[in-house]
Amino acid sequence: MNSATDTTVQPEPAGRPAVTPRGAARTGRSGPGRPRVGRSGWIAFVLLTAPMLIGLGIFKYVAIGWSFLLSLSDARGTISLGHWVGLDNYQTLLSDQTFRDSLLNILLFTAFIVPVTFAASFGLALLVHRIRRGRALLRTTFLIPTAVSYVAASLLWKMCLFNGLPTGIANMIGGWFGAEPVPWLQSTSPPLYWIVLVTLRLWLQVGFYMVLFLAGLQAIPKELYEAAALDGASGRRLLTGITLPMLRNTSVAVLMLLFIAAFQAFDEFYNLFNSGLSGTGTAPVQTPLVHLYNTAMGSQNYGLGSAGAFVLTALIVGVTLIQGRFTGFGRSGE
Amino acid sequence: MSARRAELSRRGFLTGSLLVAAGTVLTTACSTDPTGGSASGAKTTLNVWYHAYGEAGTQQAVLRYAKAFTKANPDIAVKVTWVPGDYAGKLNATLLTDSAPDVFEIGDFSERFVRGGQIAALDDVYGSAKSDFNANAISSVTVDGKLYGVKMIDDVIMLYYRKSVLSKAGITPPTTLDGLIAAAKALSTKKNKGLFVGNDGIGDSPSNAVWSNGGDLVTPEGKVAFGSAQALEAITALKGLHDDKSLLLGFTTDWWDPAAFTQGVVPMQWCGLWAMPAVQSALGDDFGVLPWPAFKAGGTPVVRVGGWTSCVNAKGKNVAAAKKFAQWLWVEQSDLQRDFAESYGFHVPPRTSVAASAKKLSTGAAKETVELAAKYGKHNPGTWDTAVSSTFNAAAMKIVGGKGDPAALLADAVKKAQREIDKQLGR
Repeated sequence: MNSATDTTVQPEPAGRPAVTPRGAARTGRSGPGRPRVGRSGWIAFVLLTAPMLIGLGIFKYVAIGWSFLLSLSDARGTISLGHWVGLDNYQTLLSDQTFRDSLLNILLFTAFIVPVTFAASFGLALLVHRIRRGRALLRTTFLIPTAVSYVAASLLWKMCLFNGLPTGIANMIGGWFGAEPVPWLQSTSPPLYWIVLVTLRLWLQVGFYMVLFLAGLQAIPKELYEAAALDGASGRRLLTGITLPMLRNTSVAVLMLLFIAAFQAFDEFYNLFNSGLSGTGTAPVQTPLVHLYNTAMGSQNYGLGSAGAFVLTALIVGVTLIQGRFTGFGRSGE
Repeated sequence: MSARRAELSRRGFLTGSLLVAAGTVLTTACSTDPTGGSASGAKTTLNVWYHAYGEAGTQQAVLRYAKAFTKANPDIAVKVTWVPGDYAGKLNATLLTDSAPDVFEIGDFSERFVRGGQIAALDDVYGSAKSDFNANAISSVTVDGKLYGVKMIDDVIMLYYRKSVLSKAGITPPTTLDGLIAAAKALSTKKNKGLFVGNDGIGDSPSNAVWSNGGDLVTPEGKVAFGSAQALEAITALKGLHDDKSLLLGFTTDWWDPAAFTQGVVPMQWCGLWAMPAVQSALGDDFGVLPWPAFKAGGTPVVRVGGWTSCVNAKGKNVAAAKKFAQWLWVEQSDLQRDFAESYGFHVPPRTSVAASAKKLSTGAAKETVELAAKYGKHNPGTWDTAVSSTFNAAAMKIVGGKGDPAALLADAVKKAQREIDKQLGR
């Protein structure tokens, strides 16, 4: 029993397989390679990285800086600067009930979708990892939805699966059990539209994160399980003692990606509730990005839109930092 | 090594040709080459934008008009861009750049373009034809006494109903809101709903309700008026349609498409005149048109007159040529205007003389619709941009859904909308 505990409390080797190749590469390079990084090396470095850095600089950082300046000015129907209003836009935005509601919505959505996606993709990865036959087939089957765009999937969900007609697929299945046909996207009490939103996102995302977990699972050395099995550990004990600790880095990365993806939710919220005419003002639920899209693209209020973008960015950065603090992302595992 | 190089170049060739193919598809799909035989000799090329009209043949028609224009004005070539998808969003974004169109259409004219200095005044374009345009077409594009666009088509939006279904149920076409609510309830069966106003369950109904009770949305001076007692009463009354569950919600297409009506999913639908050819071919004579009913007996019914307006980019390089194009096509060429209004989807030409000579609009339900528009037509105020309309509709949505106190919700919306309009008008 004691020895079994020994095997389980060993997160150290966890980092090791990943670290080893890096170490090997370092020793290889620091040999005779180092001194030779002379002028030609630098030229090559500049040549190879310049396009990327220049592109990033112009299309990302200049744009971000410009957007920040816009957020401090009254920019309607123009993106030229000059009409400074200080923090007015931020004040307007934060006192706007619609925007505050959208922030609340996105927090609720994140609090729900992140753990559910995490659990579902981890569970699927465990199942797919364990089976002997047809693993490639199942892996592909679960991954395929990832290749579908949010727009296409939204239309599918809105028109085929969850339309309000008795002939819609969800209503038809409900009809077999005697349920009345319901307008899924428009029912606000109870808020059935969450079912549509959540199932859509799960269908699209779970496969992708499953693959990340599978990669993590495959990197766990078999010997650990064998050794633990020799010591009499099995089932749950293997999971909590070996699999979970060894997957720590993968889990943290997945969690961070999930948080960011959830906060940036836009596509399905926009496409499910868009009538094709005048934005999504009457949608029962709006995310911050949808609200900002309507503000900037619909009403051409680019100042207010930029201010919102920075509020949302601050939120994402904040959550990521807090998460990093709790889960230790980026810290070398010791 | 050489084998490897060959493989690389083959792959490179493949990617390259794919990129070229994709680029060709993209460029040819969205725009045409400058038209006209003398395109190479043309001094200016006008960039003209249209949203993608749904009716077959419309795109070919506008290309034909462009060609005819170049024939008449050999020194001006016209490049037509046909924009599918979110037209307003794409237009707004492009107007900020150098590749902005010289002439473009906008649906439901908005003063915002004028305040932002994005569109040019077109008073000189009208000339003596100004008196020939209907009052709605003139007032909808007038800002501070100047005309900022030429109305291309009036889109009349009204209620369609199935004559056979209503008479079978013993229902006469409703003339009051209570009548409409009762009819919709009576026509709802286990399988079908009675009325379709939009997938969100409100569509245009809140603004219709306000107008039909003698209320207004925003005054021409820019004062929000939808906070009035009549407005509150009318919007709150719409709740009846929702409580009875007699509205079709979540159909596969939205209210602007006649599919729900033509497929027999609903016997009454709020839709536009543009859909009438499709309705006729699906149902023959078995349909009629109605205005949105008056709120109370003796009140005023409403039909909404939307439509598209041709505008000239004030910041463009070819303002004079662009004005010439707008004038030539939408003021002078009455034949082309008639063709555009009745040969594809049905629209009403804003010039009364042209409307009077449009044959297809002078019989049956189309004629009735044209008359309804002249009698009861209302257009959205020029200050009614997305920020304002979303605020109003979101409040209406909560009121009809029974979420919160109607008076408080509407008062909040008024405050927010007024702030927005004040900003718009630079006050």
